[in-house]
Amino acid sequence: MRRASTIEKDAGQINTVEGLTGVFESIASTQVAKVKNKVELSKEFFQLLWGRYSSIRIDPGSRITNRDLDKEQSKAVFIIISAEAGLSGDIDQRMIETMLQAYNKATTDIIVFGRHGASQLLQRGIKFSHYFQVPETDSYIDVSPVISIIKTYSKIVVYYEEYVSLGVQDIKTIDLISRIRDLSQEADEDVITAEDTIFEPSLDEIADEMEETMMSLALSQTILESSLAQAASRFNAMAVAKKRASELLSGYQLEYHRAKRSENDRRLHEVLISLKGKRRRLGAHV
Amino acid sequence: MRHQPIASDLKVTARSPFHVFYEGDAKSVSAVNPVGQFDILSGHADFFSVLSPGEVTIETSGNPITFGISNGIIAVRDNEVMLFVNM
Repeated sequence: MRRASTIEKDAGQINTVEGLTGVFESIASTQVAKVKNKVELSKEFFQLLWGRYSSIRIDPGSRITNRDLDKEQSKAVFIIISAEAGLSGDIDQRMIETMLQAYNKATTDIIVFGRHGASQLLQRGIKFSHYFQVPETDSYIDVSPVISIIKTYSKIVVYYEEYVSLGVQDIKTIDLISRIRDLSQEADEDVITAEDTIFEPSLDEIADEMEETMMSLALSQTILESSLAQAASRFNAMAVAKKRASELLSGYQLEYHRAKRSENDRRLHEVLISLKGKRRRLGAHV
Repeated sequence: MRHQPIASDLKVTARSPFHVFYEGDAKSVSAVNPVGQFDILSGHADFFSVLSPGEVTIETSGNPITFGISNGIIAVRDNEVMLFVNM
């Protein structure tokens, strides 16, 4: 049996871990609430703008989503939106594994958001063409540098994490171009044309601007969704760690009390033996 | 081109992805597009434009609301004005 003082020291360390995981759990919980609100606001904004975007129908053959690309450029790009730091469970790992099932080194480039995803890829010996830091979600996410890179690709697939509930986060995939094209065709908004509306500077220029804006917003949405899912995943990981630390602490407390009692018993036993010995010696003299 | 009857106030919504600048009735909306400064008043023809960086002013029955924008889209239809800015 370990000494009570050693157990007490270990229990102190576990107590610190329990406290820290509790703090991280609260931070993650606050982050979930904050990002969730932003996700909802941003979704609402996207839908309102989508309504206007889908009402301007012009020749689809000339749009970004239907552009003809040279064969050399007709590669696909996978965008992975991971966490900037660890402590968010295995969600990034699962996302990378999902991406690898569709990954073909010869025909696909990878753009990664977040240090955690980048290190996961490097650990697997997979190179990526661009790395971006996950933007802060406090201000709106400017994805224009990414948009200018991905515009040359024929297929843009985004791998991100979706918040389903606090306990459930899913790995999601969207084809950015197809999504915009499909939504545009499915839209049932009233069509507005140059016959009944003034377009400034011109319908074509507005359509180009809006298509790029919608693409940026769709990508920003995935970054926000991922941030929310990562915060929820971090909350869960911290809740599990805190529970485990509490269980360990209870175990240590029990072990400590046993060790303490055993040490007391041993001391008492030693005192009794020494008393007996003393009594024997005194009896002998008397 | 349809022309709106000059009657009620404009119904204006001005928002960025995370912020609602204004939602409600207004007398006019002023902004800048690549063609230049423009004003939207009640009864304005349907209008769709990209916005240039600058200031947007919404004249309400109370104090006017002014805010700066880096980019945006304005859509005017049937006296309803929607401004999507800072995207």
